[in-house]
Amino acid sequence: MKRRAVLVVSIIFVVALVCGYLVAANVNLLPEVASTRGELMQRLFNYLLGAATVVFVLVEGLLAYSVLRFRRRPGDQGEGAAIHGNAGLEVFWTAIPALLVVVIAVYSFRVLSAGEAASEKSMVVEVIGRQFAWEFRYPEQGLTSSDLHLPVGTPVRFEITSEDVIHSFWVPNFLAKRDATPGQVSEFDVTPSEVGVFPVRCAELCGPGHAAMVSQVIVESPEAFEAWIERMANLPSDPTEAGRLLFGRYGCTGCHVLADAGASGLVGPSLEGIGARAGETVPGLDADAYLRQSILEPRAHIVPTYLENIMPADFATRIPPQELDLLVRYLAGR
Amino acid sequence: MTTTTISHSESFRAGKALGLDHRKLGMWLFLATEVMLFGGLLTAFLHTKLRQPGLSVTAESLLLVGLNTFVLVTSSFMVAQALDAARRDLKGRLRLYLLATAALGAVFLAGQAYEFSLLAQEGLTLTGSLFGSAFFTLTGTHGLHVLIGVAWALASLLGALRRRGLSPIRVEIFGLYWHFVDIVWLVLFTVIYLV
Amino acid sequence: MTASTLGTHSTPSIRRYFGWSTDHKVIGIQYLVTTFGFFLLGGALAILIRTELFNPGTDLFNGTEYNRLMTNHGSVMLFLWIIPVLAGLGNYLVPLMIGARDMAFPRMNALSFWLLFVAGVVMIGSFFVGAAESGWTAYVPLSIEAPAGQTLWAVSVILLGTSSMLGAINFLTTIATMRTEGMAFMRLPLFVWSMIATSLLALLATPVLTVGLVLIALDRVVGTVFFSVAQGGDPILWQNLFWFYSHPAVYIMVLPAMGIVSEVLPVFSRKPIFGYTMIAFSSIAISLLGITVWAHHMFTSGMDPRLRVPFMISSMIIAVPTGVKIFSWLATVWEGKLRFTTPMLFALGFISMFLIGGITGIFLASIPVDLHVHDSYFTVAHLHFVLFGGSVFAVYAGLYYWYPKITGRMYDERLGKGHFWLNFVGTNLTYLPMFLAGLLGMPRRVADYAPEFTLVNQLASVGALLLAVSTVPFLYNVVVSWVTGPKAGDNPWGAKTLEWQTTSPPPEHNFVELPVVTGMPYDFGEPLGVPAAAPAGAGD
Repeated sequence: MKRRAVLVVSIIFVVALVCGYLVAANVNLLPEVASTRGELMQRLFNYLLGAATVVFVLVEGLLAYSVLRFRRRPGDQGEGAAIHGNAGLEVFWTAIPALLVVVIAVYSFRVLSAGEAASEKSMVVEVIGRQFAWEFRYPEQGLTSSDLHLPVGTPVRFEITSEDVIHSFWVPNFLAKRDATPGQVSEFDVTPSEVGVFPVRCAELCGPGHAAMVSQVIVESPEAFEAWIERMANLPSDPTEAGRLLFGRYGCTGCHVLADAGASGLVGPSLEGIGARAGETVPGLDADAYLRQSILEPRAHIVPTYLENIMPADFATRIPPQELDLLVRYLAGR
Repeated sequence: MTTTTISHSESFRAGKALGLDHRKLGMWLFLATEVMLFGGLLTAFLHTKLRQPGLSVTAESLLLVGLNTFVLVTSSFMVAQALDAARRDLKGRLRLYLLATAALGAVFLAGQAYEFSLLAQEGLTLTGSLFGSAFFTLTGTHGLHVLIGVAWALASLLGALRRRGLSPIRVEIFGLYWHFVDIVWLVLFTVIYLV
Repeated sequence: MTASTLGTHSTPSIRRYFGWSTDHKVIGIQYLVTTFGFFLLGGALAILIRTELFNPGTDLFNGTEYNRLMTNHGSVMLFLWIIPVLAGLGNYLVPLMIGARDMAFPRMNALSFWLLFVAGVVMIGSFFVGAAESGWTAYVPLSIEAPAGQTLWAVSVILLGTSSMLGAINFLTTIATMRTEGMAFMRLPLFVWSMIATSLLALLATPVLTVGLVLIALDRVVGTVFFSVAQGGDPILWQNLFWFYSHPAVYIMVLPAMGIVSEVLPVFSRKPIFGYTMIAFSSIAISLLGITVWAHHMFTSGMDPRLRVPFMISSMIIAVPTGVKIFSWLATVWEGKLRFTTPMLFALGFISMFLIGGITGIFLASIPVDLHVHDSYFTVAHLHFVLFGGSVFAVYAGLYYWYPKITGRMYDERLGKGHFWLNFVGTNLTYLPMFLAGLLGMPRRVADYAPEFTLVNQLASVGALLLAVSTVPFLYNVVVSWVTGPKAGDNPWGAKTLEWQTTSPPPEHNFVELPVVTGMPYDFGEPLGVPAAAPAGAGD
């Protein structure tokens, strides 16, 4: 009986090992990895997945075997063997998992240390979360953007904070996140390793607009990054182009539809044809006044069926007057 | 003729075998929750104190609070005497010591109220600053516990005034609570005023 | 011969269940019925959530309404269902299992139940003044700014915490001082051991949550500035106070469930439980370790990076006693003579699904992995596997197992099995795909999501519908069997623990004569409680 037990357990264990190996080697459950720390984590994750598969197949296998093999035969009123325990076995299945978790903890610690290693050559990017949009400031380059542009291969130190409630800065493709907590600046080191456009999502409940608080990170070649900085530093002379650029820079594209600006955000009202209706919406306000107030005091004239506390209310402190003029002029022409 | 009744002592056999009175055990367990309650409040206070050192202790303040501490410690001594009296069935003494306990507790509360008013005059209020919020919540919670203790002492006194008096176990359980409140104050006093 | 005053089979009239009773069996049933009502409420909120999430985009609810549904789904399920239903089962069973006539403090026991009831009314009341909308975790500063219902929510949870603490005092005192003769600690049924471990946590951890909630309430109502960033307040303080309780809370939610599994498996394997001592000690170990892991919920908070590591270590270590239980259960059914009654199915289902929850817990404990999956649907899947696939399955196992003892009638097996399969398929369908969504980047607590997550969400919504439907055969079974089911007898399962050595339902004071214990609770083939010598003149 005992020999049979050892044989069955061994067979199931071997099957489990094979499944574990196959899963670890072939199954990829993670998104495209675009950071060096992510690459380290991915390897750890796949090992964990393999180990998890082994444990899963072993336990579920033993359970399934027991359910099939030890079903009480009809009419059998007898009882099972009066086995209360087995000291050796109990030590074994305490010690082996203990060893396993030690290994996992040590490996995790090493991945953590390697992944969070800061570099002196880091470029600093400040990440400011506010209900319900991300703002990215580049102190070394002296500019602000609602999209996150990064040069591939350059270590970045994110300095993350919030202006209001706790948010969380998550780039799934970097395989890491850090909370944006008001009253403190949290440091978060990432080196992007793949060129591409990846979503930025808020991962801490921050209010009604939590799901809408998305942005994107554009990882590009160092040359393209420099070119972007150039463009950001100087507004185009053509007012329409300048307005379109500002519309994107201040994050309006995230929430509004405006084909001319390539915007298809569904959180706020569509701005198609806003120029024509701006002067007719509120008696006494011409188009310029209505547009200006709608930007600076979003709660003033809420379009019916839309929530009143989603659009950021602090643009007055963030948009310099000449940029506001360009923005209003741009919208008046749509 | 047999009428089987439920024997109270039969119910707590196992406790007696362990030397545990279930009512005392219940009070000890309750006090364990109170330790965690004050632990949480102390954590919040210390966290705040580290971020915003706030209370500069004047000599008068320390004297007043020190006196108050002495008052509370004396009241614990009174409770110990009350228990001794209860065990020796000295009803008169029991009532006296219970009264003394309640009175000293009330004096402590008055002293705290006075200290609070002094601090308020110096600008420290519950809603005015982070430190104020932490200080008054911590000491206020303790004061609330003293108030409940004073009420319990008076209720015990009423019980002791009755013909059948007050059983020692009830005095002992009250005593556990009162000593605990006293010890909490010693910790609070040290953390707030001496550190 | 005079009839013993203890021998009355009186099933209390139904009116007794609607008022103040100090009989632990009445209180237990009050808990079970009330909490199951809250379970249905929490489930209804879940169905609304899953309906909204069937498609991306805003369909039925705006962001505020969604956040309220989501917050109250979690709060009702955790505070008004799973914690108290296990306390309720404990209330009914612990005195019977240790051979006592009631709990140590019967009036405080009744108070615990009525605090729960009032807390439930208050939480439901909060729905009408602007429900809480900051998640069950109520992070500040978001919860400080939320509308009026958030304060009522805090009050409700304080009341529940008080109920839970008083219950813990009662359970620990009862078990320590009221065990019948021969019931040594090492002969206690494992469910009782689990209630010891649970009560330790409820006793020590709950007050810290109470402190946090009081601080939030003071900030909201009185104007203190504990969490006002402008005044120097620290939002992380709330997280520490909250999780110091709320991590042990999840063990409060699962330890008694594991205790139920340990009761059911030996009976339907006709074998002793394997490794009694280690299972008992592992419950205590999980309880004590459970107090040391809380900051693994805060790995992304910006806390001191070095401090994260001890919490990773303790969070991984806690897997070891958990593993001991799972292997001991496997060894219990191994070479047994398994009877697949409904309680047995749910107990086996617990093992198979808690395993998934437990394994994914290791993933979450690893800081580098957690930094990716924290606050994503991976976490949502993990928690539902341990709480639904785990605790709820165990509760169902317990409800079916002790149904004949509580009601005196037997439930319908076919309806029970149907209920089980709907639940098993539904649970896996709803929550397995969520792991994938989380890994690929879907955050939690979102009313809307990117189109790439649509399939996962649709599968989950269909699964949720199955779970909702599954409650129908259960409720029908419970109600109809109580009225027309066959009489069950004292011990239909042939179990050895003391609750089965008295009538079904038990008489008012539980036992005609207090039993004397001479053996272990899962010793098949040997009688357990032998009543003391019958009084002279009594009948057979």
